Amino acid sequence: MMTASLNAYVIVSAVLFAIGFFGVLIRRNTLIVFMSLELMLIASTLALVAFSRVNGTMDGNVFVFFILTVAAAEVAVGLAIIVALFRRRHTVQIDQLDTLKN
Amino acid sequence: MSTLPFDPLLVAIFAPLAVALAIACGLPKRFSVKLAYVGFGLPLLLALHVWFYYGTAAQTHGYAFLTSYSTGLDNLGIGLKLGLNGISLPLFVLAGIVGFAAGLYAIQSGAERLKIYLMLLLVMQGGLMGVFASVDIFFFYFFHELALIPTFIMVGIWGGRDRNYAAMKLTIYLTLGAMLSLIGLIALYVKSGAHSFDLIELRRVIAAQPLEATVQHNIFGLLALGFGILVSIWPLHTWAPLGYGAAPSSAAMLHAGVLKKFGLYGLIQIALPLLPAGLIHWSHPLAWLAVVGNVLVIGFVTIAQRDLKQMVGYSSVMHMGYAFLGIAAGSTLGVGGVVLLMVAHGLSVALMFLLTTSVYQRTHTFALDEMGGLAQKAPVLSALFVAATFAGIGLPGFANFWGELTIFVALWKFSPLITILAVAGVVISAVYGLRAAARVFFGPATPEFAKIAAEHPVSDLRWSERLPALILLAALMFIGFWPKSLSTALDATLSPAPAAQVGAVK
Amino acid sequence: MDISVLQTLASRNLWGAITPEILLGGLALVLLVIELLFPKEHGRIVPVATLVGLVTILGGVLFNAPSAYLNQETFNGLLLHTHGGQIMRIFFLLAAIMVCVIARVSLAKQSLPRVEFYHIVLVVTAAMMLLAQSNHLVLFFVALETVTIGLYILVSYYRTSLTLEAGLKYLVMGALSSSLMLFGIVLLYGVAGNPALPAHTAQSMHYGQLAAFLAANPHNFLASIGIVLVLAGVAFKIGAFPFQIWVPDVYQGAPTPVTAFLAVSSKAVGFTALLALAGTVFASYAWLVAPVLTFFAATTLLFGNFAALTQHNVKRLIGLSGVSHAGFLLLGVAAVSRAPMAVGAIYFYLFAYLLASFAVFGVMAHVAGANDADQELDHYAGLAKDRPFLALVLALGLGSLAGIPPLVGFMGKLFIFIAAFQAGLYGLLAIAVIGVVVSIYYYFGWIKAAFFETWGKSVDAPTHPERTPVDFVTGFALSALALAVVVLGFYQGPLGAWLSAR
Repeated sequence: MMTASLNAYVIVSAVLFAIGFFGVLIRRNTLIVFMSLELMLIASTLALVAFSRVNGTMDGNVFVFFILTVAAAEVAVGLAIIVALFRRRHTVQIDQLDTLKN
Repeated sequence: MSTLPFDPLLVAIFAPLAVALAIACGLPKRFSVKLAYVGFGLPLLLALHVWFYYGTAAQTHGYAFLTSYSTGLDNLGIGLKLGLNGISLPLFVLAGIVGFAAGLYAIQSGAERLKIYLMLLLVMQGGLMGVFASVDIFFFYFFHELALIPTFIMVGIWGGRDRNYAAMKLTIYLTLGAMLSLIGLIALYVKSGAHSFDLIELRRVIAAQPLEATVQHNIFGLLALGFGILVSIWPLHTWAPLGYGAAPSSAAMLHAGVLKKFGLYGLIQIALPLLPAGLIHWSHPLAWLAVVGNVLVIGFVTIAQRDLKQMVGYSSVMHMGYAFLGIAAGSTLGVGGVVLLMVAHGLSVALMFLLTTSVYQRTHTFALDEMGGLAQKAPVLSALFVAATFAGIGLPGFANFWGELTIFVALWKFSPLITILAVAGVVISAVYGLRAAARVFFGPATPEFAKIAAEHPVSDLRWSERLPALILLAALMFIGFWPKSLSTALDATLSPAPAAQVGAVK
Repeated sequence: MDISVLQTLASRNLWGAITPEILLGGLALVLLVIELLFPKEHGRIVPVATLVGLVTILGGVLFNAPSAYLNQETFNGLLLHTHGGQIMRIFFLLAAIMVCVIARVSLAKQSLPRVEFYHIVLVVTAAMMLLAQSNHLVLFFVALETVTIGLYILVSYYRTSLTLEAGLKYLVMGALSSSLMLFGIVLLYGVAGNPALPAHTAQSMHYGQLAAFLAANPHNFLASIGIVLVLAGVAFKIGAFPFQIWVPDVYQGAPTPVTAFLAVSSKAVGFTALLALAGTVFASYAWLVAPVLTFFAATTLLFGNFAALTQHNVKRLIGLSGVSHAGFLLLGVAAVSRAPMAVGAIYFYLFAYLLASFAVFGVMAHVAGANDADQELDHYAGLAKDRPFLALVLALGLGSLAGIPPLVGFMGKLFIFIAAFQAGLYGLLAIAVIGVVVSIYYYFGWIKAAFFETWGKSVDAPTHPERTPVDFVTGFALSALALAVVVLGFYQGPLGAWLSAR
């Protein structure tokens, strides 16, 4: 069985992180932006587990649980806001959310 | 020896502030006005008291009446330290006299919302007393700002034409000047290694180990620029005529008469003894800027003015040029002349602003072309105005004469060419001063003035207006005939320190 | 595993050290119980109970001011109780009290359940207080996320179209910054624990251990990326340029008390984190941290002040002015490494900012109408005539924010400037001076709107929303703030000594 090196894990997680990051910046649909945000968190988690394995410490693995909890809370609040906003505006496109202007 | 049971300097600062606070807390108008007399009177009495007893008071580190109070920042080297030396005594007295005159004039003026007007003026008065009584340069700056803020507000609320623009311009220029000088003071604090804002401590540390020449050049440049803006050095003077043109009379009296001297006082009290090499480095540029810009250019601009109040504003910018020249000359004589001139100019320009407002109340215009013949209807006003004009020109018998004379004598040693140009300035000020006096008071009445005089019968100065004017004039003549009353203390403070230091570096 | 190991670990969990935070959490739960027990009156009871509880806890913290746990690590190094941590605890409690005072005024204009608002404010405050004492990246991240997620809810609390839009923007930006920071933390964890590197450590997220590792490897590539990412994440929280884009929109859309909470507490959170991280943990990476901080400070000062010039909506204005205040504080942070007095200066500045900001926000809450996002400068016309008390408080608050002596804001700026000069940051100082002069212009414009414009001429038809009368509690709080702004400008007394102590 082939074992992937630490570098491979870090590169994959960095790529995932980058995809998420640019997704947030580029995509116009709020839901997809939101998914991209989650992708960034998951990318960090992947790297964390890989580092934890290589370093031989459990801190990283434990931290993952905290991150998952935080992410769940973020999703709960975020989706609630998006749904409430959709009820009032009937749209979730970022470019149409521009009422706050001077 | 002074035998007051309290610290006269502290009371002189906080009495007006306490009265202002009492007014702010909703004192009825009748009491407010009565209490305001106390707020303006007490600093004057205490100033005269310390003036009288200065010679016999005990001196520590060259300061009389030295006291210090902790404000919780001792570990940063900041504390309220009060005291007077020969340089600050004349200005402390000036602040007391002009403040009292401005206060009296404000009380009789019956301005709208008089209570708030008096409150702001009292805050300004407290700040002014503090500026010149502070030995700690942090509080010196702090009290200056305390006095400056009411100026902005008074221009913004009670100002004349263009008051919004004038208030804004005044605020931005003066804030810039104040910030630059603050950075300069911080530079002294850090670079000297004293880590104290106490001037005595700074002097001690720097005397033991003078700053490097380049550091001195930079800090002096910063201070000269910052203080220069505050004193309206050319070409950063434009706030002054505009601001004074718009300011209500008492605010203009206090600002032009006293507060503006802050910058010069700072240069003399702080920059000269601590940064002698900086002065040598900058003295020629400073002198040329002052003589060409302030004295000659502004002198001609003043001649061209058609508006009486603007003219007074510009003339005050012009006279600041002489003060810069005296500082550039750097000798004991020159600096002593500047202090005398500051006092004299403070009294005379305050008198001028007061009388200008009184003229306006009778003619309802500041335009020189529309006036004439006021002397027949208001002889006392015209006599006082002519006297103030003579004082401004610097005729013997007035305090200004001694100030300008000593500056010119000191300047001759520094640069004869600059002295000749500067003396030419006296002719310019004679031209516009006398011409304005002639235009307003003598000759036939213009048709415009005749019309106004028919609508609003012209009366002479009331006693309530005369009293502040006479106080100022009396002080001018007292110092004019007896300059020793100030110069003894001044010489004692100046002669050992700056002369020795400046001379040594030369 | 040997049971005694767990026993030793558990014995280091000194719960007494976090009594104030536990009490805050308990109070938050009590509020929910109150709502259950008194379904009719809870609208009146809850704010009072919150305020009484907060004041009691604040009193307790002040009473035990030199905490018994000072300079001691608890919870196996998760927490370190420093003097600075104590200062910030008091700061966050004060801020929470003022947020609740303002919320009483603002929430009365909406028909909404109130309990949750106070509940979340308490929980978020507890998290902020923990964060100020955190000594471990995991606790730091979890506390920061508790703060941020609580604020997402608070920002969109009114559930109108505008507040929800602000909430969504804050959510996206906040989550983005959290992810950046998290990735940075992960990289630091991975590098510092790597067995192949010298001075690697098993406790690689512990501040002390991490600092020791970084000192041993001062030019590690991955670690420097991690540091930049963490700093960028913190920069989002404090609204530093170029991460300030969310500030005006979110400040405008959020309810006024939440705007105040964001402006004061959330910003202070960012600065406590920055002081702990940039000042101590990343100290050996000064070659990287110093230029980044200098860049942040310079651009933030310039952007905040110049962008605020053109604003007419006061919430956007105060948001952008807050960006400029972040710039002044960053100037202090940039000076920390070379001028130790900068730490005390930053604390003083934060307290000065707290006092002045809440004075201004308190007035804003009274002037605002039911539509909380619509607060224009024009609405302040004639305030000095109608409500002299509010106008006076506003003028003092704005004057202090502008840094005008003799108000406390000036002292804050002075200390920062002295520290910056000691550190030799002359270029940044020049920019800061420009910033002060520009800021005078827009603060002055606001004061002008409240004072000068209408004195003399009367306004016939009021074009501004109904102004709320000032009740006893708010009146008392606002007077106390105004008084503190003036008195602390003249006499810093024990506060100055306390804040600059180590």
